[in-house]
Amino acid sequence: MPTYTDMTRCDGCGECVDICPSDIMHIDPVYRRSYNIEPNFCWECYSCVKACPQNAIDVRGYADFAPLGHKVRVLREPEKGVISWKIRYRDGRLKEFAFPIRTTPWGSIKPPQDYEMPDLSAIGSQMLAHEPAALHIDALPTIDKIKA
Amino acid sequence: MVFTNNPFAAVTDFFSPLAMQIYIVLMVLAVVIGTLLDIYHKGSAIFFAQRKEKSRAAAQKQLSGTETFSLAVETIAEAAVSGEFCKWPRRLSHLLMMYGFFVYVITTVVMVFCYAGVARVPAILPGLWTLGASMILVGGLWFFFYLRVNVAFDGDSPFHLGRADLFVVSLIASVAFALLWDYAQTTYANPTATWTLFGLYMFFTTLLFGAVRWSKFAHMFFKPAVAFQRRVEEANGSSDLPRPSNENYIIRS
Repeated sequence: MPTYTDMTRCDGCGECVDICPSDIMHIDPVYRRSYNIEPNFCWECYSCVKACPQNAIDVRGYADFAPLGHKVRVLREPEKGVISWKIRYRDGRLKEFAFPIRTTPWGSIKPPQDYEMPDLSAIGSQMLAHEPAALHIDALPTIDKIKA
Repeated sequence: MVFTNNPFAAVTDFFSPLAMQIYIVLMVLAVVIGTLLDIYHKGSAIFFAQRKEKSRAAAQKQLSGTETFSLAVETIAEAAVSGEFCKWPRRLSHLLMMYGFFVYVITTVVMVFCYAGVARVPAILPGLWTLGASMILVGGLWFFFYLRVNVAFDGDSPFHLGRADLFVVSLIASVAFALLWDYAQTTYANPTATWTLFGLYMFFTTLLFGAVRWSKFAHMFFKPAVAFQRRVEEANGSSDLPRPSNENYIIRS
């Protein structure tokens, strides 16, 4: 189900244009609001739906196989680490789901370039870079050779 | 002296005060007619009526008059600080333009209607007029070159012009030529240059108010209307958005 923008909600911030991996979210030249220029090229990754701070992006099925009248709406609450979905069926049934998306505050994950470069000797280690600290544990479990 | 005299006093050498006042009334009418045509063209009135009807049908509770009034006050409070914007640079540039525009328009109307042809006016009026125009210029140029979403995110050149820019460009040009004309006439520059600047000021001002049907001018009226409707839908339970989560999943810093 590709995305489309509710122009009465969109404030033209450009987050969806920035995040769209398919480069199909663009800015309307008349109203300066976002819109999906090519719905049939949409990967349906819903990155734009989740990134939109105004909850302005909806998703809908193609009219040839999805019955018209349904609705899929998303509420993004990064401060709680959750994205909630509300599905309205054509016959009026409603289903709501809340999906936890992370356990750390939004923007708190350290990008790789912010870590200190490992020493060359670390190439001989069985641990990956910055383990075990990056896993928030003191040490990785090891297998005792004698017992094994 | 620049910034302390009534900039419109010298115009009475060529145009009567009544002509200037009629011009302002015509511009107000142009905004009203342009907005109505825009509403008709986009079908906004029908859209809002249908949305209101749907909202009423899906409402889980009826809002009292006090609750509706309270939502209207909240909407005005949000619009007053451009609270709908999630990024502070856009919010600040809009606030500069919005309050600059109010101050600029009000002082223009006061000087043209109450002090027609009088050069010496309370210094606060031309001072505020200049301040308002400068605020529009700063906020407008900042928005135009750095914050326009098609420039910041869509790869357009900062000098790209499209129909969406009609409002902001005519606004920036109008106040820029107003300030230049004010400066030129008070420093006794070449009369031809002064009147040319005045002509450009009039051209862009007429474009600003006369092109409402095609520009984004009317978004000043639409946005609060949409924001109010959205608040009503959230309050009466007819919003199509999911309910906010009761749980907080952020457990680590």
